[in-house]
Formats: sequence, C-alpha cells, structure tokens
Amino acid sequence: MSTAMNFGTKSFQPRPPDKGSFPLDHFGECKSFKEKFMKCLRDKNFENALCRNESKEYLMCRMQRRLMAPEPLEKLGFRDLMDEKPEAKDK
Amino acid sequence: MGGFWCRGWRSVALCGRCWRPPAWPGRSVESAERGLRRLGTWKRPSGARGPAAQPPRRPASSNPFQRAQEDEWRRRNKTVLTYVAAAAVGMLGASYAAVPLYRLYCQTTGLGGSAVAGHSSDQIENMVPVKDRIIKVTFNADVHASLQWNFRPQQTEIYVVPGETALAFYKAKNPTDKPIIGISTYNVVPFEAGQYFNKIQCFCFEEQRLNPQEEVDMPVFFYIDPEFAEDPRMVNVDLITLSYTFFEAKEGHKLPVPGYN
Repeated sequence: MSTAMNFGTKSFQPRPPDKGSFPLDHFGECKSFKEKFMKCLRDKNFENALCRNESKEYLMCRMQRRLMAPEPLEKLGFRDLMDEKPEAKDK
Repeated sequence: MGGFWCRGWRSVALCGRCWRPPAWPGRSVESAERGLRRLGTWKRPSGARGPAAQPPRRPASSNPFQRAQEDEWRRRNKTVLTYVAAAAVGMLGASYAAVPLYRLYCQTTGLGGSAVAGHSSDQIENMVPVKDRIIKVTFNADVHASLQWNFRPQQTEIYVVPGETALAFYKAKNPTDKPIIGISTYNVVPFEAGQYFNKIQCFCFEEQRLNPQEEVDMPVFFYIDPEFAEDPRMVNVDLITLSYTFFEAKEGHKLPVPGYN
C-alpha cells in the first residue's frame, strides 16, 4: 500500500498469499532446521540456489509438525531436488 | 402597387440606417417595413406555408384526417419516450447492480479481482528457473508506532532467480508482559516488479498472536514469476525490496483483506 496518495498513479495492491498464512511456530519445533538454513545462507553468501536443500528440509519439518498443510514437494517448486533424491538413494 | 414599393425602397436607400427621415414621418417606415417583408427578410405571416414546413404544435388543424394523424404521431412519440425512459432507468440500475454482480463473478471464478488468473500450483510445479538472471531481494521490516514488538528480518538480502522458490525469515519478539496480536501487510518496490512477486505462503494478513516474552520465526516462501525475465520493462531491475509492516490488531477491528474473501 504505497503512501503516495495521487489520484492518477497506480497504487500497489497487496495480494494474499497463494496458500495462506503460516501458523506460528510457538514452540520452536523447526528452529534447528531454520538455523541450518540460515547458516547455509551466510556461508554461501546469501545465494538461495545453493541452499534449497535446507529450505526443503525446513518445509518438510513444518509439514510433519502440522505447522503447514502437507503438500507434495514438487508443487512447491522442489521438483529438481526430488529428481536428484532417488539417484542419491541408489548410491 | 409598384409605385408604392418604389417609394418605400427609396426611403431606405436615402436614409440608410435611419428609419425616420425628417421629411417622411411614420408612413415611410410602414412602407419600408412592408417593402422588406416583401423582399423576404422578415418572417412570413402565419398561414403561408413554405416547402419545408413543420407540423404545428397546437392542434390548429380542423381537418379530421390531419387530426387523426397528429394523434397517431403523438401516441407514437409517447411510446418511444416511455421506452427511452425505461432504458435510461435500466442502465442506471445496471450500473448499481454491477458491483455485487462482479463480486459474485470473482468469487465463482476465483479470480479475486485480478485481471490475470491466479498462479496455480501447477505453474509452480512446471516452472523453469531462469538461471542467467540473478535478482537481489532485500528485506525490510517495519512496525507501527503503537505496536511494541521487535520485528526484523533475519537476512538482509538473498539472491534468487525467477522461477525458483525461495525461503526467507523474519523474527518477531514480544518484549512486553501481555500478549499482543499483530497483523501485517507487505509492499514490494519497484511497483512493476511487485506484480511478478508471488508469495506461496507467508505470515501476512492474518492475526498473529505473540505471548509475553515470546520470540518466533516468521517464514516467507515466495518466488518471482519466470515471465519477469521476458518483460522488457524489467530489463534494468536487479533489486527488489520486500517490506513488511506490522500493525496492532485491536479487538473488534477488522482490517480490509485484499481479494474478495
């Protein structure tokens, strides 16, 4: 919601998130996963592409603890990681 | 008759604008007027009809057939007028009814007021990251003056590419001794890039309750639409700033939530 109250300018329209709101993690159940993710980010110079495994782990933790609606990870954009995983399992 | 006319004309020619020459009072004026009338500059007296005459307003015709025709015309005019008036009222009503009807349409089709159909999970599943376009996303956290939370992002920036889902964290702490409920909204700068910024899940627009002395991590799961890389207006955009602002949610207060929920 931009504060420039001009008549002609288009103002920013915030959109609701696609899957709604994350329930709050009051008991810190997934805090360790979050710490791992943050550490990875700091090590890799805040590049998201290199820390996708950790973010996947965090979301899986949330789903297991009922802090997030369970959903197949491909639908969350982790399809490339899912394709690698069976290969890693074989090894 | 000709002489009469000639005299009048002469009086006009002799004195120009002056209608009352000293030698010829009143009478010459009359003759001048009559002369002009004959020339056709003044209105013809009623009774004489020209080729393009309009039907008289008053029912002055004594002819019964003409009167019937006039009645017919009058009746038709009334019908047409009624139709036109009904159409005008109908248009006015339709413009008032359009608002709830559009809302209903948006609810049924799920478009939620946006011109473009919402991004479904199929799109997320199939989108391909555009690896050559790296965008820096910086995070900003704000709190309304009346809200006593400590709210800040846990990373200052993150480098993403369009089409790749990313996770970011904010942290909020309630340092007071009573539970506080907050509700947040967000903003994305630059404005045009904000349309490509899609949040899969976050913590905005819903009341979040923090107990006394509680500290929580608030994640934001988002991605930038791959079409961002194809938009010519976005060629120079390398930095997107995501800004969250928390407000205090008061009892009984209902904040306007975007979309037609």
